[in-house]
Amino acid sequence: MFTYYLQLALKSLRKTPFSTALMVIAIACGIGISMTALTLNHVRANNPIPEKSAQLFSLQLQASGKDSSWTTSDNVPLQITYQDAVNISRLLPEYNHTPMFKTSFAVRSLKPSFTPILKNARVTNRHFFSMFKLHFKYGSTWSKAVDENPANQVVIDEQLNQKLFGGGDHVGEQIYLNDEKFRIVGIIEHWQPAPKFYDLNNGAFDKAEQIFVPISLTTSTELNSSGNNNSWKNERVNTYKEKLASEMLWLQYWFELPNQQAQDKAEQVLDGYIAQQKKLGRYERDDARAELQNVVQWLAYRKVVDDDSNVLVGVSFLFLSVCLVNTIGLLLAKFLRSAPNVGVRRALGASKGQVFAQHLVEVGVLGFLGGLVGLIFAQIGLTILKTQFDGYDVLASMDLTMLFAAPVIAITATVLAGIYPAWRVCSTLPSIYLKTQ
Amino acid sequence: MLSMSGINKVYHTDLVQTHALRDFNLNVKEGEFVSVTGPSGSGKTTFLNIAGLLESISSGEYLLDGQSVVGLSDKDLSRLRNEKIGFIFQGFNLIPDLNLYENVDVPLRYRGFNYRQRKAKIEQALEMVGLAARLKHLPSQLSGGQQQRVAIARALAGEPKFLLADEPTGNLDSLMAKQVLELLQNINKQGTTIVMVTHDADLARRAERNIQIVDGQLCDFKMYQGGQFANQQTAIA
Repeated sequence: MFTYYLQLALKSLRKTPFSTALMVIAIACGIGISMTALTLNHVRANNPIPEKSAQLFSLQLQASGKDSSWTTSDNVPLQITYQDAVNISRLLPEYNHTPMFKTSFAVRSLKPSFTPILKNARVTNRHFFSMFKLHFKYGSTWSKAVDENPANQVVIDEQLNQKLFGGGDHVGEQIYLNDEKFRIVGIIEHWQPAPKFYDLNNGAFDKAEQIFVPISLTTSTELNSSGNNNSWKNERVNTYKEKLASEMLWLQYWFELPNQQAQDKAEQVLDGYIAQQKKLGRYERDDARAELQNVVQWLAYRKVVDDDSNVLVGVSFLFLSVCLVNTIGLLLAKFLRSAPNVGVRRALGASKGQVFAQHLVEVGVLGFLGGLVGLIFAQIGLTILKTQFDGYDVLASMDLTMLFAAPVIAITATVLAGIYPAWRVCSTLPSIYLKTQ
Repeated sequence: MLSMSGINKVYHTDLVQTHALRDFNLNVKEGEFVSVTGPSGSGKTTFLNIAGLLESISSGEYLLDGQSVVGLSDKDLSRLRNEKIGFIFQGFNLIPDLNLYENVDVPLRYRGFNYRQRKAKIEQALEMVGLAARLKHLPSQLSGGQQQRVAIARALAGEPKFLLADEPTGNLDSLMAKQVLELLQNINKQGTTIVMVTHDADLARRAERNIQIVDGQLCDFKMYQGGQFANQQTAIA
């Protein structure tokens, strides 16, 4: 009977093109708005590295001054000092871990005609690429020796490679980063985790860096962080050397701990490090401690899906319900207008259930059409967000889940909205219409 | 075929109770052609709706083809209506958006026949009423008489045992009315029981038996033979 109901639904919708269009547009507006909000929320709530999210841990140290306070829920600073980063990078050699920070360079190829471009870069060690699953198109990361002894080597991504050279394998070639020549050792495939979990300081949907240089260059090249720099101590920081030795917090630190045993070991070693630093008088707080949080915990802790975006989703669904209330009114009018035909069908043997099902199928078709048009509206909304506002490039993209979710939500919502009109029409006494038609 | 005993039908509103049928008793034998007459508001339509399982009764017993219909679910009543009863209405009640083929198809769909069975039955029914060549026409493209013939085809397509006709010629001119009535008589001759509500005394005489309803009660009972009024008054059934 479903195909029969479908035929009847299409016939009925074609019969009243104006009210059909009104209902489809009403549903589409609701779906368009709610899918836009839901997509933003969905991308925010995305696990950017599902296969390793339980093995990658962000490190925080409660190593600030006794009276210093932070905006985090547990009052632990988000970043660590350079000296802690250096010290901890020497611990636990059996596991991958990496200190890192964001910087920026004026980049150009050796061609004199090339106009320099300003690009963000990530200063890190070679483990970064395997830890965060970056794939090399050409070449590979720099060697362990380069992590210990600085060398002007760089990994770039394929988009920058395209811009600098027009694509292709250019491993071994040199580029300028600021005024220094760097040799390209690897070219990675485009990589854009969403959210950008490894460094949320400049927004969860900040663009991933296209340039990666060894952290061993920090001292020799005096690389500065272009992310957040937080200080709690009143200390003299006039030179770069003083900055490195200061209690200024400006590096992120990540561990890859493949199992519980590794996590226990890391916690134990870090506890030892905290105790040692306390003993040295560097850590003043009684509650000095190390905190490790995996990717999912980290994203929740950093409130990547914030209350505002949840409220936005709620409001958008309220809007959808307003659209559906309007649709209910139109459906009621349409169905009750067709009540005489329902009376005839009932006389000819249709049960209430069959009449109800017939009308719900019609409502479902409406919902499907509304969902499709709503998807177009949502794409328009997302495109407007992308083009009109900064930082929405990554956020405002609909994935397959959302593409399939839109018609499903539309059909479900519309069918729920159609229950009352369908019930009204199927409970009408058929005999009333048979005489008066 | 149809047996009603002690049927009462009461409509309730906030202030008033209306007894549409009271202590109504009627037996219609299989293959009979019965006309039902009576003044406006006498309960003819209520009788027809109850006989057609479109309305429930307040009390009494109703056996359709030997089966009690009291207390049956909507689903069972609908199935019975679909299998055993055909309806013909004064206003034809064809579904205007469906062509003739699709209109006749409606009861067959609910019966669950497959495509081939439905096609054969639809073509046969429309052939019988002389409209087989106009399968794709919409009801609005037909005359009143033709529309009523389609309605008859629709009522008969599922081969019901029992045909309920409510003023079947009420909207037709005399020529068309005659044709439709002849069609009904032929159908009756082939064994289908017909109960026809009408205002038209001449039309009522064409039935084998006429019953009269006044104030919700069966008050008169006349037998006709060969379509001729025999002027024979019998006891109330």
